[in-house]
Amino acid sequence: MKKFLSMTLIIFLVLGLSISAGAQDLEKKVVSDSLVDEAGEYGGEYVISLTSAPQTFNYYGAIDWSTFSIMTNVLDSLVEANPVTQEIEPGLAKDWEYSDDGTTVTLHLRKGVKWSDDEPFNADDVIFTFNNLTLNPNAEANEVSRYEIDGEMVEFTKIDDYTIEVNLPAPYGPFMKILSQAPIAPEHKLAQHLDPENPGAINEAWSTGTDLSEIVGTGPFTVDQYSVDQKLVLKRNPNSWRYDQEGNQLPYVDQLVYVFVQNSEVQLAQFQAGEIDHLQISGKDFPMLKQQEVDGADFKVLTGKPVNPTPSPTHLSFNFDVEDEELKEAFRSLEFREAMADLIDRDRIIDDIYNTLAIESGMPVVPTNEAFYNPEIEEYRRQFNIEKARGILDDLGYKDTDNDGIRELPDGEDFEFNLTTAVDSQDRVDIASLLKDNMEEVGLKVNLNLIKGSLVFDKALAGEFESMVMAFGNQPDPQFRKAIWQPGRALYYWHLSTMSEDGQPVMENMFDWEKEIFEMFEKGQVTMEHPERREYYDRWQLINAQKLPVIFITKGMDLYSVQDDVGNYFVNDDGVIVNINYTVFKK
Amino acid sequence: MMNYILRRFLYMIPLMILISILSFTVIKLQPGEFGSQYFGNPRVSPETIENLRARLGLDQPAYIQYLTWVKGIVTEGDFGYSFAYKRPVSELIWERLGWTVVVAGSTILFTWGLAIPIGIYSATHKYSIFDYVFTFIGFLGISVPNFFLALLLMYLVLSFGGTEVGGLFSQQYIGAPWSIAKFIDLLKHIWIPLIAIGTAGMAGVLRQMRGNLLDILGEQYVQTARAKGLNENVVIYKHAVRNAINPLISMFGMQLPKLISGTIISAIVLNLPTMGPFFYDALINQDQYLVMTFLMFSALMMLFGNLIADILLAVVDPRIRLD
Repeated sequence: MKKFLSMTLIIFLVLGLSISAGAQDLEKKVVSDSLVDEAGEYGGEYVISLTSAPQTFNYYGAIDWSTFSIMTNVLDSLVEANPVTQEIEPGLAKDWEYSDDGTTVTLHLRKGVKWSDDEPFNADDVIFTFNNLTLNPNAEANEVSRYEIDGEMVEFTKIDDYTIEVNLPAPYGPFMKILSQAPIAPEHKLAQHLDPENPGAINEAWSTGTDLSEIVGTGPFTVDQYSVDQKLVLKRNPNSWRYDQEGNQLPYVDQLVYVFVQNSEVQLAQFQAGEIDHLQISGKDFPMLKQQEVDGADFKVLTGKPVNPTPSPTHLSFNFDVEDEELKEAFRSLEFREAMADLIDRDRIIDDIYNTLAIESGMPVVPTNEAFYNPEIEEYRRQFNIEKARGILDDLGYKDTDNDGIRELPDGEDFEFNLTTAVDSQDRVDIASLLKDNMEEVGLKVNLNLIKGSLVFDKALAGEFESMVMAFGNQPDPQFRKAIWQPGRALYYWHLSTMSEDGQPVMENMFDWEKEIFEMFEKGQVTMEHPERREYYDRWQLINAQKLPVIFITKGMDLYSVQDDVGNYFVNDDGVIVNINYTVFKK
Repeated sequence: MMNYILRRFLYMIPLMILISILSFTVIKLQPGEFGSQYFGNPRVSPETIENLRARLGLDQPAYIQYLTWVKGIVTEGDFGYSFAYKRPVSELIWERLGWTVVVAGSTILFTWGLAIPIGIYSATHKYSIFDYVFTFIGFLGISVPNFFLALLLMYLVLSFGGTEVGGLFSQQYIGAPWSIAKFIDLLKHIWIPLIAIGTAGMAGVLRQMRGNLLDILGEQYVQTARAKGLNENVVIYKHAVRNAINPLISMFGMQLPKLISGTIISAIVLNLPTMGPFFYDALINQDQYLVMTFLMFSALMMLFGNLIADILLAVVDPRIRLD
């Protein structure tokens, strides 16, 4: 009996010790106080609306804004960019070191983090995610192109359960930034979806028909309930590792609810009825909502300096490879583009089209992006001056020889061209109309070509246009979108002859200043130290201002309206709107 | 009768094939392909999009894509794969069928349930105030576009301080278990779609009913029936209406497909979780198998609707022989 008792005791002791030795204490993260304005209270639900339901719950399975917006609440990346300051902060990796030559990064993972189903998070999940999702060319929303440097891929190796070593083929400046946009997915839930016979099988994992208990994450929220095409409910993740300054676990709200409302009028109506807690609004709706706020409605309207680099500032472009030889010569001349820049009445655009809620844009870096904005470009901004434009066109020799009010090109044809823009963006249609009027006033004949947004892209990338009013999806680190801004790339659409059939840059077809921009991007790519990198992008912006590859017009301010009972949703001292899903709370 | 029905079913097959070829051609004539919508997306490189298209078989000639799809249907009942949702098309349509049937069904009930009695009353009380008022409302219903009426109604509700606008439920009842309160919430929401979508159809049916009945009431056998001394109600309902309603039965067959695909804009504006908005998204995304399956489904509904209408007509009208 005694022996039995002591044996049992010993067994329990051993078990107890091993369990506690295996379990890690959670290494919490205290979120930056830039995200918080006042002490939060627990409880309630925070309702957001999206215009379309997610196509899948697999972040890497489809290229879908709704999927991205929703799943970034459920999954975390190794590091995160502070939403307000854009600085890189620890995420699932709590710290990291670079080797001396900048080609190796050692990441130390946060210990004690558990998935929402209580399975421990460790390096295996990171390796699984990078090998089968992020860097898998068959995953639809993969990031392969970002992790390819000089033709070689970045490699991730597990050193131990909480240490990852990353080998970069060459030093890579934006590396931390791209790491912040690669959420880590659970190996224990997704590995079973891999199929050696069907490389695309991973895209079918976590589709919208999946049992929600399969969808686990480390993020502040987990998926709780989905009503097809109507509403998605996320609830607080009990294993969340984010805490506020007072030691309270985040998030504050019990539930984060996404409702899917296709039509923007209905969205507005539901916001006014109090069913939605916050909404991003357009300049057109601003006056009405602000008036209601002043009259005592239960919500407030906030204007913030634009922080989000997306969409890029609206710009006017001329096709340097346009078919008509005369137009080609005109478009390629800097003086002509300067004249066109003189025809842009930004004040009127900001007042009339944006209801004063827009700013002079950067070229294209957003002025609030302190990491990359070059204020020197402001000296080169051209003012609205019709007479000056007229003078330049006269000097260039485009005269109206037959007195029909339209100037003639050297070959006798009218100076006439198309201006293409997306019919589904009211702002751009209005800007294009205004430009057309001003251009016609100085004797150019302009035909508006309004087509569907996605078709505009197709035409741009095929070089089938003459001039265009456009905007691209953009990123805070210009290197990420070098596909647009660096000559010789696929999205450098106004001068496609700088790229060969197989996607290689053709230096002979570039202007001298384009060659210089090309160099700047090449250098910025491989420089790790930010102050040095920054110089290259400063020079790029300066060249943009002086040589006008495209003419940047304006960037809309951030406009949000929010119910009065939402706390920690505010405009900070720098004029930037702060609204983070895991720090807002209901009063 | 059975012969007739069988023959009709056989006719449907070549018809469906023709419709499918036509639809596929029109889809392919659209410029761009699935993936065009991604070029503006800052996360995506153009190379990724090309790879994606190759993987989905979009780099093959159009007729191969079509034949592969048809083979899938015939041999496996596989209606194709949605490029956007990464799921079989049949599952996606099935998920949304429920509410579509509810909304379509209640709209039909609303439209016909009101229009026929009103049409009858209008005919029998020709040129009365009632007749004029309802004719006016009817014309208003036809001329005002459905989606505009929907927006107008929503605006009116909001300005009177109401909050039940958009969708079928208030946010807190979506996904909640059924209860009396939830049913009442549904009624509070569904009256706007019923009126916005139903009034246009109602006007047509109403005027038809009135017109047909007036014609019949002028016929000699109605005069005879009255002369025989029959009760007026019997004359109207047992004899006149029964004859007047024949053309309307044909109209009925056409209602169903219209309700599913003809109300897309209204459904988007009203934020209804039905197939209409879903189809619209599929068109925008050029998610071709989803679009094709949806089109074939609509076509099938129309063919069935017509068949049912013809059969009903034969049942109701002894003068009609089907063989």
